[in-house]
Amino acid sequence: MKRMTESGTATFSNSGEYQAGIGSAIVSLVVTSRGDFKARLTWLKFRHLQAIRSRENVSRIAFVSLLPGRVFASLSLKPEAPTIWSGVELRPGDVVFHSIGERAHHCTKGLNHWGIISLAPERLAAYGKALTGSKLTPPSAVRVLRPSPPAVANLRRILSSACRVAETKPEIFAQQEAARALEQELIHALVTCLTADDAHRSLATKRHHAEIMLRFEDALAAHVDRQPGVPALCAAIGVRERTLQACCAEFLGMGPSRYLRLRRHNMVRAALRRADPATACVAEIARRYPFSHLGRFIAVYRAIFGEMPSATLRHTAI
Amino acid sequence: MARSAILSFDDPISYQRAIRGAAVEVFVTAKGSFRAELMHIQFDKLCMQHACENLPRVAHSAISPKRGGIEFLTDANQPAAQYCGLGVSSEAIVITSAGSSRHIRSWDACRWAALTLPVEDLSATGYALAGRELTGASLTRLVYPNPVHMARLVRLRAAAQRLAEIAPDALAHPEVSKALEHELVHAMVACLADEAPATPTSGWRHHTAVINRFEELLAANYDRPMHLAEICAAVGASERTLEICCEEHLGIGPMRYLWLRRMHLARRALIETDPSNTTVTQIATGHGFWELGRFAVSYKELFEESPSASLHRPARDCGPSKIVRSGSQIRNLHSQHRDVA
Repeated sequence: MKRMTESGTATFSNSGEYQAGIGSAIVSLVVTSRGDFKARLTWLKFRHLQAIRSRENVSRIAFVSLLPGRVFASLSLKPEAPTIWSGVELRPGDVVFHSIGERAHHCTKGLNHWGIISLAPERLAAYGKALTGSKLTPPSAVRVLRPSPPAVANLRRILSSACRVAETKPEIFAQQEAARALEQELIHALVTCLTADDAHRSLATKRHHAEIMLRFEDALAAHVDRQPGVPALCAAIGVRERTLQACCAEFLGMGPSRYLRLRRHNMVRAALRRADPATACVAEIARRYPFSHLGRFIAVYRAIFGEMPSATLRHTAI
Repeated sequence: MARSAILSFDDPISYQRAIRGAAVEVFVTAKGSFRAELMHIQFDKLCMQHACENLPRVAHSAISPKRGGIEFLTDANQPAAQYCGLGVSSEAIVITSAGSSRHIRSWDACRWAALTLPVEDLSATGYALAGRELTGASLTRLVYPNPVHMARLVRLRAAAQRLAEIAPDALAHPEVSKALEHELVHAMVACLADEAPATPTSGWRHHTAVINRFEELLAANYDRPMHLAEICAAVGASERTLEICCEEHLGIGPMRYLWLRRMHLARRALIETDPSNTTVTQIATGHGFWELGRFAVSYKELFEESPSASLHRPARDCGPSKIVRSGSQIRNLHSQHRDVA
């Protein structure tokens, strides 16, 4: 018989592998602070509900595309860490109720723990109906909810505790009743949080900016090789440079040119990690992205990541 | 002739099994060592029971379809209990209709008594003495009898108990037992006939229906942990409604009740399982406790015994811890209450 519950945990020191490790979403990460990237993912897959906890150690901007077909809700598990989801600064205790297949930027500063829980839409509707008397449907655009502090604390406690058990004693969840109990506890805590009121009355202007940010990411994805500058991107998106500037400040915590530069440096870093140090050379890889002035590239790279590109290249060989 | 027995218990499981005329589940709601004493007197037709318990608890009892009667609190100083969400003091009696089910919540140590007759005898006595059916309706109801009638019932019940305690062999005397039975039945019927029971409000009816569906579901899954969402779905009541109903009928919320139920199921499994091939972890996770440390702490708090101590208790036959005193006719307790229930 197929086991109904799966759980697991993995540690990543490479943002590329980490992105691939998050199964329920497509994530592209741009690390924005110095230090070695380290992340630990723990996942729980029950009959209906799936949950992931992630613990990351550096600031980063992630462009997240949630897989359609499931409803997602996410929350910070380390309440003091500030994060921005789709331009909305999340307060400790906020729960994000995502729309189906949502795509948005998620910025974190420093050490960050977050959890994301998902259910099939019909399951969420059914559990919502059973517990609250009315169906619980995913919003058409993201909602930031502010449940009562005990409700969030409860959800956070169950999720953290369950992940701790999955990391230390995964065999517990092989027992069907234990897994069923935990799944039911999580569903109950989640539904309680999802029926809370919105933290912000209107995100209408945000929604307009969020659309611009999606077009911005689409334009970047379309220009994967040529690395366009800000004016070219503005033309492609169809906005004025000042608008893009304002949007990026709001959603990414930095201007577009700084973001583009960081993004390119992150790409070089990933390429350096992948490359074979015996045959590859830093200058050649940097030129591909395209950094023409090697000296300036090395200085900026070192300022961002705290190590020389050549050290990154050698690092992979070990 | 009558047979009597006084039994004492240190465990809710063996206690609930010894109660006659109903299938009872007792969930103790406060920490501490449970103690209970149960007295039976089985007259020719009438069965009288009296119990003292030392801890607050919520009990669900499904009355046997073959017997009906009354129940009341016997200590005037004890706090009011809740029968199906209705506050009950020692001045009231609760009609226990055959085949009905209800919750009784006590908030402290509790003393109660029950008098039951086979349905056909109860019906015949009702027509003979009061000219009507006395306990027919399916809903559990409450009556405040005339204080004179109530006082007589209380006095007779106490006298019967004293006899069972001091001179059980006297009850075996056919004339004594017949006279006492006759008086008790008469007193019971007088109380029952005193007042037409008030019609319950529709809100109360609705809540009682929800609680009954809730208990039916639990009974259908008697050995299996149950969780809130599946209960709400099956019962067709939202969490909020269920919460109100549970607070009213059980004196605790549904989450707490389900948790207590799981704790008691786990305890029963621990006590009844052979420790040589089972571990505490297996039983705890088998009842949905996935945080083992938390389970051990709350178990110890609730039962004043560690889970492993329960598991390694010497095997015993779930009977009373002690037979305090019994009439000469007592032979086999277990086979008897199987018959009645």
